[in-house]
Amino acid sequence: MTDTPESPAPDARGDRGGGLKSDRLSGLVLLALAGWIVWLNREFPVGTLADPGPGYVPLLLAVGLGAIGLLVALFGGDSQPLRDIRWTEARRAVVILVACGALTFALERIGYRLSVFAFLVFFLGVVERKKPLPMLLVAAGFSMASFYVVADLLGVPLPRGPWGF
Amino acid sequence: MLETFNSLMMGFAVAFDPKVFMYAVGGCIIGTLVGMMPGLGPLAGISLLLPATFGLNPIIAIVLLAGVYYGAMYGGSTTSILMRIPGEAASVMTCVDGYAMTQNGRAGPALAIAAIGSFFAGTVGVIGLMLMAPTLASFALRFGPPEYTALLLMGLFVLAYMSGGSMLKTLAMAFFGLLLGMIGIDVMSGYTRFSFGMVELGDGVGIVPVAVGLFGISEILMTAGQAEPPKVQRPKLRELIPSREEFRLSLGPIVRGSLLGFAIGIIPGSAHVISSFVSYGVERRLSKHPERFGKGAIEGVAGPESANNSAATGAFVPMLALGIPTGPVTAVMIAAIMVHGILPGPMLIQQQPDLFWGFVASMYVGNLVLLILNLPMVGLFVNLLRIPYAYLYPCVLAFCILGCYSVSNSVTDVWIMLAMGAIGYGLRKFGFDLAPVALGLVLGPMLELSLRQSLALSGGTYGIFLERPIALTMFVLALVLLAFALKPVIFKGKDWRAGVGLDDPPPG
Repeated sequence: MTDTPESPAPDARGDRGGGLKSDRLSGLVLLALAGWIVWLNREFPVGTLADPGPGYVPLLLAVGLGAIGLLVALFGGDSQPLRDIRWTEARRAVVILVACGALTFALERIGYRLSVFAFLVFFLGVVERKKPLPMLLVAAGFSMASFYVVADLLGVPLPRGPWGF
Repeated sequence: MLETFNSLMMGFAVAFDPKVFMYAVGGCIIGTLVGMMPGLGPLAGISLLLPATFGLNPIIAIVLLAGVYYGAMYGGSTTSILMRIPGEAASVMTCVDGYAMTQNGRAGPALAIAAIGSFFAGTVGVIGLMLMAPTLASFALRFGPPEYTALLLMGLFVLAYMSGGSMLKTLAMAFFGLLLGMIGIDVMSGYTRFSFGMVELGDGVGIVPVAVGLFGISEILMTAGQAEPPKVQRPKLRELIPSREEFRLSLGPIVRGSLLGFAIGIIPGSAHVISSFVSYGVERRLSKHPERFGKGAIEGVAGPESANNSAATGAFVPMLALGIPTGPVTAVMIAAIMVHGILPGPMLIQQQPDLFWGFVASMYVGNLVLLILNLPMVGLFVNLLRIPYAYLYPCVLAFCILGCYSVSNSVTDVWIMLAMGAIGYGLRKFGFDLAPVALGLVLGPMLELSLRQSLALSGGTYGIFLERPIALTMFVLALVLLAFALKPVIFKGKDWRAGVGLDDPPPG
């Protein structure tokens, strides 16, 4: 479930509808990425074949990525049309990423326990609309218990807030 | 042979040390729980536990992490059979017939055959590891930079050829991973590359933030807002015993799956995932009644489950003998060993025999522990699946952040993890395989170093790769695979994936 491609293979889809195809767009994005890396790589000496510099291998790889991107775009005519890709969970995914970003920002500022407590209260209370009592119990229990196991029992240092908590 | 036996006995002395044994059992139990939880595969489990192993001795650290790995492979089958939810990717094929068996009231025998098959396959895998790794390691002592360059390139082409999806897209992801591996200080010149002025990127991008982001976070983003999981069955102990006919039908698939899985496990890529697909395809093809597949054929559980467990063990052969990871999990495990100042590779077995043989022996013990513990305790373990997903996923997210932060106490690592999570989500939407990114990240610096050393050795000519027989053989093999892989792309034909059902959605 972790790394299985989500879209079926082109042959299985057999969809020849109009509009931009997913592999065409992917290929072009890869090509653009490769171009950007080549541009960034200009700062590093490529050296000679007998003495390759720090820019040599990145340049080879970027050129390789660009070539593959081009092939993906060229052979991507049979792939899934872009409009057929469903983004039903995208809004929730953005909320998750923003909340994780907020937790990361707060982690070293207010400490592990408080930031994780606030993070779980937000998810369980605001996003999932759980009842206050189980929400508070899970948020407090998880933040305290995980800190105890990881920091106190396993000896892994975790950030504490300005109040030593 | 006698030497191997004596070394194994020494390994058992290490594995039965009470502390090592306790950690092996603990790793198996944690792994089983991790494997059962959607969103926490073996990789995320190992990554999260990694910081906790820094204070342990290296033998205990690797025994614990390996226990988590094969425990997770084992645990993934439980959710597949009982709920049609693959706890980890390799269990996807088990869902098909395993869940159909549950619907037919045969959940117990399906779980039992999965456990027995996993035990047999795990044991076959360990025997293979024990016999192959030392031989491969002594052969690899002849390797210089050109041979390593050829080996790494061949590995990438094999990965592309054997990947479950498009070869071009897999290669693109491998190149993306290799480029990620270029970030940080160049060890040969001292230049800091692609760091955008961030001091934290001087050491490069770590495997843990990338792996947890790509696999853990992106999985949660994909499943966000999903419906509550279906109700879970709790099979009783007496319902677990398969019938004589079920045993008879499972025997061949277990043996074939074990051998096939081990052979595929040595190959780079998502080997355990591919092995389960290939095994399912082989069993369906060999069956006298292929129409039973998808409707509760026990061979469809026995083969893939054995194959993915055997592949998980096979992956340790190149990791321990050559120091080369075959996938993200072994990449993280190499990082775990290197933290202790030990470099996996050809010299490991000679310089650290207690670590290698202790590890091998602990895998025998771990497999037995999993069989003894998991079958009677399956009713207890499935209680975990009763936790509503709405409560589970925020806690898993917090765990991911906690695990990633604690590897090097760096918030930058957490930001990288979140970025990789978002990238992984987008890539999965567009049908890209993510394993090559993690693999490329680890192989990138190795490939760069060996290529530049080879060119320096040869005075600037690529002819050095043609003058050395081992390197030349590997390059020829890589080119043959590339030709095979490109043929269906160019001529629009079908390749081996179609034969094993990787191009088709699974039945059922």
